[in-house]
This record gives sequence, structure tokens and C-alpha cells, in this order.
Amino acid sequence: MAEYKRDEKVAFNGKKVEILGSTFEEGKPETPMNWRKKLRNREEILAYLKTGERYWFSDEWVGSEKRKTKA
Amino acid sequence: MSDIEKKSIDPATIEMIEKAHIDGCETIFDRADVMKPCPIGAEGSCCKHCYMGPCRVPAPKKKEGALEKIRRIGLCGATAETISARNFARMVAAGTAAHCDHARGVAKVFLATAKGEVPEFQIKDEQKLYQVAMDFGIEIGDRPIREIAIDIGERALAEFGRQEGELIFLKRAPLKRQEIWRNLGVAPRGIDREVVELLHRTCMGVDQDYQDLLISAARCALADGWGGSMISTELQDILFGNPVPILGQVNLGVLKKDEVNVVVHGHEPLLPEIMVGVLNDPDIQQAVQSVGAKGINLAGMCCSANEILMRHGIPVAGNFLQQELAIVTGVVDAMVVDIQCEMQSLAQVAKCYHTKLITTSPKAKIEGAIHIEFEEREAQKVAKKILMEAIENFSNRKTNVEIPSHVADMVVGFSHETINYLLGGFFRASYRPLNDNIINGRIRGIAGVVGCNNARTTHDDPNLTLIKELIKNDVIVLTTGCAAITSGKAGLLTPEAAKLYAGDGLASVCEAVGLPPVLHMGACVDNSRILMAATAVVKDGGLGDDISDLPAAGAALEWMHEKAIAIGHYFVASGVFTVFGTVWPTTGSEPVSRFLFEELENSLKGKWGFEPDPRKAAKLMIEHIDKKRKALGIDRARERVLFDMAKRRELDAA
Repeated sequence: MAEYKRDEKVAFNGKKVEILGSTFEEGKPETPMNWRKKLRNREEILAYLKTGERYWFSDEWVGSEKRKTKA
Repeated sequence: MSDIEKKSIDPATIEMIEKAHIDGCETIFDRADVMKPCPIGAEGSCCKHCYMGPCRVPAPKKKEGALEKIRRIGLCGATAETISARNFARMVAAGTAAHCDHARGVAKVFLATAKGEVPEFQIKDEQKLYQVAMDFGIEIGDRPIREIAIDIGERALAEFGRQEGELIFLKRAPLKRQEIWRNLGVAPRGIDREVVELLHRTCMGVDQDYQDLLISAARCALADGWGGSMISTELQDILFGNPVPILGQVNLGVLKKDEVNVVVHGHEPLLPEIMVGVLNDPDIQQAVQSVGAKGINLAGMCCSANEILMRHGIPVAGNFLQQELAIVTGVVDAMVVDIQCEMQSLAQVAKCYHTKLITTSPKAKIEGAIHIEFEEREAQKVAKKILMEAIENFSNRKTNVEIPSHVADMVVGFSHETINYLLGGFFRASYRPLNDNIINGRIRGIAGVVGCNNARTTHDDPNLTLIKELIKNDVIVLTTGCAAITSGKAGLLTPEAAKLYAGDGLASVCEAVGLPPVLHMGACVDNSRILMAATAVVKDGGLGDDISDLPAAGAALEWMHEKAIAIGHYFVASGVFTVFGTVWPTTGSEPVSRFLFEELENSLKGKWGFEPDPRKAAKLMIEHIDKKRKALGIDRARERVLFDMAKRRELDAA
């Protein structure tokens, strides 16, 4: 099991508690974080656009412009 | 503080100004000392729209009486208000023209790429292609990419010459915003039409109602933000890739003594993209070796820099006021320029050293420079020719070489799509975490800090002071252009900056998501990305129905270009309180300034502000953000009630 760094924080009741610390990777990223390459084909891209960019491309979401009674 | 320290807060810049003095090379910093701005022009009170003038109608030093006010007119009777509004509107038209002509060039290359006429360019981002196709209402189905791309290219180009209707991208805006534009009659019909009409309106003897002029200017500016600039961003993304997080470096220290240094400067990414691609060409590498250099170092300046930084992590040598200073290092073997923000003095500074100044756009030639025209059909050939010019020049370096050691790391590449992904993840990309943290108060609001440098103020100081003040007060900052480069140099574009500079609330969110507190969103045309991010926040819900409802504000404290006025006006016309600094171009007319600073808010729901002091500007922006939080009812923390079943039943019964 990986060794986790631990941090001490103050809980809501004022007591000190030990929690799991941050898990950042050390060093600098050598390559771009190219998340777009995860989408392998047209079908996946279009499905992603419908959910990820749903504000423009899907009716299946809730938001300010979706409420029944206008503000 | 010494006189030289008043010129910049960037140590690399100071070092190079001092070196230029030693080398006997004059720069913009020297000229700014000698030449003061024309006081009448600076306040927008000079009318040279016909040659019965130029007429000067400067604002009086003391309060004027009614009779004096009536007398303060040009030969044709144009009032100070008309003259001031015309000058402002002409700046909007010029700025819009600049962004949109850039966009037209991109659209033409895009269409040629789709048709297979320029094989050195390709469609790299299929996702963005479909995204724009869906926006344009173009059928996707099983059609080949090429066919879809041709349709997009043709439709994008048609937006420039459109005569009636509305620009397609307007429908991306929040519904309420679209309604405001339609009710006011400011929804742009076509890109070129709005620029031409505004220029016509500002001619002698045409539109002589200052309010009408400024509202028309809003329609023109919207044709920039939601038209030309947005087309440019989207098509460039399809051709070269939508930006994703990538590590880069910034400041004059990225230049290398033992390598051939080529600095690309300007705004169009077309040639720089091809140059990136041919750097490792065997002919180039062999030529580099033959002159005894250890390699070839491509670096960027201004928005050309931002374009290739965002997509390839190519280092940035500096922002607008550092363009001459890059040459002053004595190691720039070629500076390659295309369009916008290139100072004519580069030719003179280049003569002090060995640098070859190479112009590449048929639209922007400089006396004394070498002109190697960029031709898309021979893109690689042109790129190689330019690199060869630089390599040949390596051995001509003089002895007065000095590179500042200052370099900073930065993480860039925050397109609005990438922010959406980073906040929500792959299966439910979303702006929800941002909205939730604005609602719960960890993040106080959002600010867009963009724009240029201006030699009339301390280089980088207003932008940096403002940004630091904002993030300290838990306002997340979206940045583009030269302001983004300023942020990078100061180390604000790294996730670690959150802990060092941001307030506790913003820092905790940045730490959880792994984002810097200041997000670099690209070049100046990419301010359209900020419009899209703001729209996504609105549409996600909980923060009102329009961009003007958001706890958000914009700023460009070091602005100098007409493009900045166009950008500012389209942000205002999109509902954003936008603060400019250094100088304000309508101070010659109090009614015009009042209309822009106050009365526009009644109709467009956005307004301008002017404040040269960055701390006071931050205060204005934060006050506005707090006002919006109050209107939304999220101005104070509320107890979070956990509902048990009994309470749920009570709710259902109600």
C-alpha cells in the first residue's frame, strides 16, 4: 500500500485531527495533459459533447435557463 | 525608487533598459520620457474627421457656463460629446477590424485546409470541429471530416459578409442576454457590415447623437467578441488543437546564448505553428550545427507567443513592452513579425545589434526590415527560409551580449472546455463546482484581467498589483494577452501560487482541483473564451440568468491599443463591469463619460469604469462583485440544514 502523507487539521469541534494529506505528484509535468485524446471516435466525441457541453448541446440538464418559472 | 525603477517592476526589463542605455540604443522607455501625450487628443477632444479642422474642443479647466458650453463646438457645430463619442466609436471599429481581419485570414486558411489546398495544415481537433458544426447547424452524421470542415469554413467566411439576420455565435450567449441585444437592436448582423456602418456613422455630418453612436459601437464590438474573435479562436482550435494544461516558461531568460534564437512576435498562429513543426527538420539541424550553435530556440512575444505557448509550451520571451528589449540582449538572431502590436522602432533597435527583423504579412511591412511573405501553400518552405536566415545570422552576433537570468515556470492552456473538464471530470464535465464555491463564498467572484502594456505607466505594475489584490480577496482571475504574460513572470500561473497569494477560500478550491488561481486562457482574440466561460457559469445555474447577474468584473489597466477598447466595449455590451486604467479616452466630455460609466448599465446591464490606481480598481471590482452577490442573496454564509425524513415530508406536504 502506498505511503500517504498525513496532515493535522482542526476539526469543527476544535479538536486536532490527523487526516490524509495531499497526494500531488512531485516534479513538473513533462507532457501536456491531453484529456481530449481519451475520446477515441466520433460516437464518443458526440456523446461527450452532449454531456460535457450540455449547456449548448443538450436539453437534459438543469440550470438557470431551465427553471419552470422565469426569474 | 529610481527613475529607471519607475519604468517597470520586472527585473529583466530593468536590466535590459540599462543595457540599452550602455549600448546607446533608444527604446520606447526613453521616448516616453521625451514625448508627452497630446493633451487634447488624450481626452478625445480633437476632431479630424474633415479638413475644415482639425477642430479642438478641450474640456475647460474650470466649470463652464451654459454659453461657454454652447461655444465649445467644431466648425460644423459638432459638440464635444459628438466628437468624443465619434473618436471612441472609431477606436471600437478599428479594434474590431483588427481582430476580424485576423479571423478572416484564419477562416480562409481553414477552408483551404478543408479543401486539401494547403497540405501543410490539417484538422487536428475533431471534437472542436463537431462542436462548431453543431453550433452552425451543420449535419455531422457519417459525413467525412473534410465535408463537414468545408461547410464550417464556408459558413464562417459568410459571417463576414452577412447583410441581414444575426451572427451565428450570438445564440451561444445566455438567452436573457440575447433578448437584451434584440430589444436594444444591437445584435450584430454581419461582421464587416457593423465595422463599415460604424465608420460611416462617425464621418462628418452623419450620426450626431453621442448616445446613438456609443450604442452603435456596442453592436460593432459585439461583432468582434461574439463574431470575429470567436471565429478566430474556434477555427484555430480546430486547426491546431484546443489548449490543454501544459508547462511553459516565461521572461527574457528563456533566450539562450549558445543557440540560434528566433522570436516570433505578433498575433497570428499560422506561421509560428509551421515553424514549430520544422524545427527538427534535418536541413535545419544540420545548418544549426554548421554555424556552431548548440540548437535552435524558438520563443514567442505578445500574442503569437500565447498561441504557441498554449498549444506547444513554446517559451515566451516577454510581453509588448519587452519586444525591443529581447533584441537588446544581443542574442536574437531573427525577430519574425506578422500583424498587430509590432513597434516600428524594432527596425532601429535591430540595427544597434545584429538582429534580422523579418516581416511576413502582406498587410504589415516595416521600412528597414527583410520581407519574407508567408504563403500558406508553401508554409514549410517559408518557415525554413526564415529559420535559415536566423541560423546564418548566428555568427554575426556582436560582443555586447547579456541575457537576464529571470525565468518563471507556468501552467497554461485553460480553454473553457478544459476548465469544464478539470472541474467536473470526464463523465460529467461541469462548471458546477465553480458555481457551488461561488455560492458558498469560498470564491467571492470571477475577474477577467486582460490587455496590453502601456509605456505611460509602470510596466506590469497595474496588472500585477490588481491581480494579486483580487486573488487575495478570493476572486479567481481569468487572463489573456500581455496581462497573462505579466502573471506568468510573477509566478501566478502555477498551482502553488494559490497557497502563496490567494485568500484561504480560493486557495482551498484551487488546491482541491489543482488549478492556479490565475488561469491563462490565451491570446487577445481568446477573450471569446472568457465570454464562453461566463456563459457556462450562467447556464449551469444558481447565479442568475445573465452574465450581468454574475459576481464578476473585467479589467485592462495597462491598455493602449484600439483592440482593447473594442474588447472592453463587447464585455460591457455582454453585461460586464469593465475597468480600464492609465488613461481614459473620453474625459473631454463629461456626458459621454457619464453615459459609459453609469447610464449604459440601464440598457446593456454592463458599464465601464476608469481607475488608474490598481488597488482602487480592485476595490471597485470587488464592490461590484459584492453588489452582485447581494442581489443574488449569496452575500452572507447561511447555515446548511440537513433534512431528515420528517422535514422532507413537510416539504412534500407543502
